[in-house]
Formats: sequence, C-alpha cells, structure tokens
Amino acid sequence: MKKIGLIVNPVAGMGGSVGLKGTDGNMYKKALEMNANPITPERTKEFLSYIKNFSDITFFTAPGRMGEDYLREFNISLKVVGSISENVSAEDTKKIAEEMVKKIDLLVFVGGDGTARDIYDAVGLKKPVVAVPSGVKMFSSVFAVNPRAAAEMVDSFIKGTDLKEEEVLDIDEDAFRNNKLSATLYGYLNVPYVKRLLQSGKEASRTDKHTMEDKEGIAKHIIEEMDDEILYLFGPGTTTKAITDKLNLPKTLLGIDAVFKGKIVGKDLNEEGILKLLKKYNKVKIVITPIGGNGFIFGRGNKQFTFDVIRRIGKENIIVVGTEPKLRNLNCLRIDTGSLEVDKTLQGYIKVVTGYREKMMMEVRC
Amino acid sequence: MLKKYIKLNMNEMPYPPPIEVINSAKKGLSNLNRYTSQESLEMLKNMLSDYSKAPKEHIILSSGSDLLIREMIHLFSKRRKTIVADPTFFPITQAAKQFASKLLKIRLSEPSFDLPISYLIDELSEQSLVVIDSPNNPTGKILLDRVEDIVETGAYLLIDEAYYEFSGIGFAELVKDHPNLAVTRTMDKAFSLAGARIGYLIAGKTFLNDFSGFDTFLPLPSVYAAIEALKNIDYMKKNVNKIIDERKRVEREAARIGVKVYPSNTNFLLMKTGVLEVARELKKAGVLVFDLSNQLSSEFIRVSIGTKDENNFFLFSLGKLIKTYNQNSFK
Repeated sequence: MKKIGLIVNPVAGMGGSVGLKGTDGNMYKKALEMNANPITPERTKEFLSYIKNFSDITFFTAPGRMGEDYLREFNISLKVVGSISENVSAEDTKKIAEEMVKKIDLLVFVGGDGTARDIYDAVGLKKPVVAVPSGVKMFSSVFAVNPRAAAEMVDSFIKGTDLKEEEVLDIDEDAFRNNKLSATLYGYLNVPYVKRLLQSGKEASRTDKHTMEDKEGIAKHIIEEMDDEILYLFGPGTTTKAITDKLNLPKTLLGIDAVFKGKIVGKDLNEEGILKLLKKYNKVKIVITPIGGNGFIFGRGNKQFTFDVIRRIGKENIIVVGTEPKLRNLNCLRIDTGSLEVDKTLQGYIKVVTGYREKMMMEVRC
Repeated sequence: MLKKYIKLNMNEMPYPPPIEVINSAKKGLSNLNRYTSQESLEMLKNMLSDYSKAPKEHIILSSGSDLLIREMIHLFSKRRKTIVADPTFFPITQAAKQFASKLLKIRLSEPSFDLPISYLIDELSEQSLVVIDSPNNPTGKILLDRVEDIVETGAYLLIDEAYYEFSGIGFAELVKDHPNLAVTRTMDKAFSLAGARIGYLIAGKTFLNDFSGFDTFLPLPSVYAAIEALKNIDYMKKNVNKIIDERKRVEREAARIGVKVYPSNTNFLLMKTGVLEVARELKKAGVLVFDLSNQLSSEFIRVSIGTKDENNFFLFSLGKLIKTYNQNSFK
C-alpha cells in the first residue's frame, strides 16, 4: 500500500483564458474580477479518474478545495492533513506539503510553475512528486504532459519505476506580462521517470542563421497565402512575430494579436476578446508555433486559445509554423486544451510550415 | 599522419570483394586509357536485369544511386508537390529542397518510425512525386510493404532500395506494370563495391524518355568489377547473412549496456544513447559513427555493422562513454 499526498492549488490556471499570464501573488483576485473560471477542479478530477490502482493507495490530502473535496467524490479512504485559510495562498501549499512529507511516499500536486516552486521550497528532493499540469505558465520539466499522463505516472510509481530529477523554473510573471520571458532555474524535484509522460522544459528561442532563414521563409510563405477575407489570430512566439514583423505590424510577443486586411484589429487578446472577434468575422484562422523543447501547440503559453475557441475555429483553420531546428528536437506535437474531446479532434497528423513552400507533417499527440 | 579510425559511419560492407572481382578491376585499371565499351555496359545491364528481374530497357546506370535520385527529383519535381520522409537519405532532402516547387516532409516519429501511409495518400490529390527510401536511412525501417495504393493515384513514386539485399523486400519487378514507379539500387553496399560506385535506376515507362541518353560512361574498373561481382552472387549473400547475424549480436549487446536500439532491416543500426554529442565523443575514442544531430537529435547515432572486432571495439567504447556520462550526471 502506497501513501500518496495530494495538494491542489485551486486558483492555478485561472489567469489563462482572461490573458493574465499567471495567478502568482494576488493576481488570481484580478482573474476572479474578470470572471475567470477555476480550472483545477476539472483537471484534478480528470487526473483522479484515470488512476488504475486506487486499491493500492492511501491518500493524504490537503483539506477542502485543496484536495479533499475531489477525493470525496471517489469514495476512497483518505486522511486530511492540516488546515487552510479562507483565501488560500502559496503559504498554505508550503505549510501542508511540509506537514505531509513525513507521512507519504509520493506527493501529487496540481498547479503551474508557481505551485512547483512552492512544492520545491517545502519538499525539495525528500520525496518524489507527480506534477499535474494546471497552471498558466508551465515551462518546468517536472510536469506530466496532461492529467491522464500524471495518473499513469502514479501507477508506474506504484509498480516501481526509476526516479529522475527534473527542473523547476522560476518565471518572472511581471516580466512575462510585459512581453519578456525571463526564466531561471529554481531547483529540482524528483519525479517517477517515464519519459513519454513527462513534458520537456522550454528551450530558448534560437537565433542561429538556419533558424533566421527559416523564419524569413515561413513569413514569406504565410504572407503570400494570406487572404483579405480572413481574420488571422497570431499566437505567441518569435516565429509568429517574424510574420507580423514582415507585415510591419507590432506584435505582442507573448500574447495573441488579431490581423485583418494587413492591420491589427486586436492586441493581447484574452478568450473573451477572441470570442467577440469570432462573432464579427466569418472566416478566422489561428497561426501558432509549437513551444521549443516540448512541442505544445495548445495548452501551454497560449491558454487564451481555450478549448471553446479552438472548437469554434476548427482544425482545418489552424496553421502551425515552426523552424526545422526547433522541430528536430521534437518527436511529436502536443496538445492539452483541458478538453479531451477537443484534444481528440486535433490528434493525428498536422502540417507545419517550415519555410517558403516547405511543410513538415507531424504527429499531434494528446 | 592521419589518425586511423574504425569506420562505422558510411554503411560500407566491412568485407572486401572476392579476389576475382579485384582481379577484374585490375584488368580495367590496366586499360585506363580507354573508355568503357558499349558492350561492357550492355553486359552489365543484362546482368542487372537478370538479378533484379526487371527488363533491361528499364535500367539506367550511373556512378552511384544518389546521382540518379537527384536527377529524378530534378526532372520530375517541377509543377509537382514533392513528398519525402523525414528523416531520410540526405541526398533526397537536399535535392528536394533545391528543386521542388513545393515540399512536404513526413516526420517519422518514435517509437515506431512508421510512415503514416493513409495521411500520405490523402496528400496525393494534387500531382505529386513521392520519394521514399525503404528500408529508411537512418531508421532501418521498411516504410513501404506495397506500392499500389500510391501509384494507382497517378502519383510518381521513386523508392530508394539501397539496402534491398539486407531487407529482401523490393519492388523492381513491378516497374513493368506501373509506368509511374521507379526504384534506385546500388552495388556499393551488399556487393562490397562502395569504391566502384555502381548505381542503377529501374524506371517505369513514364520516366524513360527523360532519361534517354543519360547513361554515363562508367569507369572501366568499376564496370568490370560489377560484372564479376554479379557472377558471384553467393559470395554477396554469404556476407549479407554474416552482417545480419552480427547486427543481431550488436543489437543485443548494445541493449545490454543501456542503449535503445531500433529494429533494422539493413547493415546499420539506429541507436538512442542518452548521451549528448555521442558521435563526437566516440570519434575521440577512435570510432566514427554517423551523427544524427541534424536529423533527429544529438543523442542519436547510426552505426554501420563492421567486422566482429570492429563492433566489439565500438561496443566497448560506447559502454565506457555511457558509464562515464552516467557517473558525471549523478555528481
């Protein structure tokens, strides 16, 4: 019988759809003001519903909405550890993790990069962890590729698997909001090592000659194919920015901008802003680039493209662009929109524009 | 003085050709002041026709099959979408990038490296040239087990079968039934004739007109060597079987030292070592392997099967490297 701890950050990920790029500190209150919906309940339930070996587990859980509420739905034996304040904070996560660590074999947490930092502060390498991705920023390599993969990691741990130290990154959220991705290594957490279930960390944007030539070719290709009847939603990244640069348009590097007939008609859009544009324009296409190192095209770094937005726009209107050097290090593309149904409509093969009149067909896995 | 390396990077046969072949090549050398006669070229074509069970008039000779692949792509990629596997034999990508008006690469992904045939066929609604190496280089995987689904769409299909003798699966016989099918083969690998550079194209009728007058005057020693080698098919087969047995042993031993080895139908193995810049590190140890950092990632290498001693030295060097790498990783 394995003793497994569960800590859920109930506000993690709330800033994603409203375009806040994170909920560190008190930013989740702003997300609430903007009518953001909590996403961790669904992610936690999805994770729990995919665990196969419940009978081999005794759960130690944080109280209420930090874990207990979801486990109760599964009618299994559990022990509640500690207490939480009304307005849960990073301190609650750390305090409960510290208390829990002596009693458990493995700790599962649900959250994003900020939560991973809190867990690292409290647990370090003392116990292995499984990280269920549910934040806005999830650039650390400790995370499973999706909640289902996290469940499989728990099952692998129960059966016995090697552990590996994976990175926890410290992303400067204020800089992130100001269009700069500033990441430093914060520490390492031990995770059950099943490589296909773990996301790789984000790699830095490349500036080598080959990459720059590819970006130039990609921009030329996309611009040549652009249609004045279509609204284009350009996702984050330097590859999409190369296209808007060539159009002489200012791009929000880490946000989503809308372009119609060669002009910007929406800057740093959130889900609500995108949905408004979908009502106004009949034909809409998304232009996105995978995250270097882990290959996510949806679900990491561009949460404003919610599953509702993606469902409405449809797979046939998604244009993926990426340079060859970036794609070389990716075995496949990944999606984790938060809706398994939408993820399934996108899985299979998709063409990635890699240069002028050059495409690479790549597998999309969820 | 040049450093002597164990060469496991070019997929050559480690065993030399039989003495009769060497003597024939020498005979050619003693006549180096002469061009190769048309009769000798015709004789070689006749023998290749018998060997590949394809009509002689469909065979085009060249110094190496890579030149034929390049010419095929040069001639037939204009106004067509060119579709290739990725990764693939490098000259295929190189020529496609240079000549194709539109290029689609289909990524082969771990763990199986399968070619997604149904997605490929979906792409054939517009005029296309499909160029596939099967078995694939560098994965060693057989990518095509039938051609009808592709050629019956009207697409042009070129299959590079450089490793046909190791896989035993080839489509040369079908070119007479499918005018839009072509196959390239080489005597560089299984016949131990890498230095002679005898490549040949077995082309369906659609392609033949464009190749009229293409036949190059191959070097006399190469042609004589090739003719003699084709008289002694059993020697080639014996060597192929030795390589396959040795490949299986290397596969087992490499797996034992913690390397991921992918099943192969060729005279090489694709390995994922977990060690970054592994090809560079092996070179320091005196072993040349093919670096795949530009095609997959730097922990992948393609290793040709050499003699037993060569393979043992490679395995020893790789094992030592992995041990050191793992020790340093845990520091």
